[in-house]
Amino acid sequence: MKIPIELIRIVVALVAVMAWVGLNALLLVYCERKYAGHIQRRPGPFEVGPHGIIQPLIDGLKLMAKQLLMPDGADAILFWLAPILSMIPVLLLFLCIPYSPLLTGWEVNLGLLLILAFAGLNVLALLLAGWGSNNKWGLLGAARAVSQSVAYEIPLLLAVLAIAFQTGTLNLTEIVNGQGSWPWQWNIIVQPLAFLIYFTSILGETNRAPFDLPEAESELTAGFHTEYSSMGFGLFFMAEYANMVVVCSVATVLFLGGWKGPFFDGWWWFLAKTYVLLFVMIWLRWTYPRVRFDQLLNINWKWLLPLAVANLLGTAFLMKVFA
Amino acid sequence: MVFSWLHLAIVLFLLGGLLFAVGPLILAVLLAPKAKGGDLGMPYECGMRPHGPSWIKFGITYYVYALIFLAFDVDVLYLFPVATHYPATVGWVAFVKVFIFLFFLVLSVIYFWAKGVFTWPHQIRT
Repeated sequence: MKIPIELIRIVVALVAVMAWVGLNALLLVYCERKYAGHIQRRPGPFEVGPHGIIQPLIDGLKLMAKQLLMPDGADAILFWLAPILSMIPVLLLFLCIPYSPLLTGWEVNLGLLLILAFAGLNVLALLLAGWGSNNKWGLLGAARAVSQSVAYEIPLLLAVLAIAFQTGTLNLTEIVNGQGSWPWQWNIIVQPLAFLIYFTSILGETNRAPFDLPEAESELTAGFHTEYSSMGFGLFFMAEYANMVVVCSVATVLFLGGWKGPFFDGWWWFLAKTYVLLFVMIWLRWTYPRVRFDQLLNINWKWLLPLAVANLLGTAFLMKVFA
Repeated sequence: MVFSWLHLAIVLFLLGGLLFAVGPLILAVLLAPKAKGGDLGMPYECGMRPHGPSWIKFGITYYVYALIFLAFDVDVLYLFPVATHYPATVGWVAFVKVFIFLFFLVLSVIYFWAKGVFTWPHQIRT
């Protein structure tokens, strides 16, 4: 029997994505703690390995060696479904991200829509986690998570739509092909406002500070994951870090020219841009104070949303003017 | 709908995600100690015994936000097919259509704004 080439491609992509997600989680935990340390003028993790480089691996092992606990009276099905559900769609998000012309899991002509659709499932997981754990902090965190993710989804979609209007395609590979190698040929030059809106919204979407209200430790203990110990907690964080990588990769594709860069096009440019964006996200977390919840919602509905709509209309208008 | 390789890829990736989630959980079950008794199962409320159940009715002020979201998200979805065709359109008719569509969407936000949904604490005028 001959194994079809497509099946081989899918399996290889799946294994590669699994390895990539795991590696990224370790790398980002290390980066986050190390940056945090240096921003606060302390060395960060330093004991395990040179400059604490093995620390995240040990953290993972430690998490696995902790007992999985469930509070009395919690809804067992929802409680355990939540961390699993937050992890399930994550791998799929990497399927159509073009790291280079060759390094694409599967070229999907609706790639952008696929990513946006499955990224939305994460909210459901957070809601189930907060509701299922029969904990007041959890419940409040879940209510916040839903209203926040729901709100920030819309400017995000509108900012992405501005690019889609301009390029006329939802295929991520074609969007990259529409941009040039030099920074002034990237979409960010034509759509600076869309990029700003997109970047602000992804902070809200991935629950990152200064918009990390669902898990605000100073008000809600730990928000929706208060009751999760061991790997239950670990899965939420793996999913969050993987989602951060996905949204930054999409930003790279849409606005920063994807794998294209000065002198030599290739996956190294893609990784470099993604990691610069991730660095900015972590940097923001340790620089800005957390906003209040009404401020959070009002930033979205009073500023980001009207700006995003105006940007979209402006894009459509200017395209007709210069047509 | 024909079952294509893409669908197989999506199903396999979702299954892979399931594996990726369940694997560490099983490892944790195998490796971790299994303590029992005491207050291990008590919901965490900063050390005190929980006062009443947590599944109670409470005023979710975010309810109105959910309504606007519904209005927006469903409609924004319609703009994706429009986006793929827009650069191919000729003349201003397409722009006028997009403008009308977005105008009524924005109208909903203006309406809620005027009603005081975005003012905290809520003073929604009916």
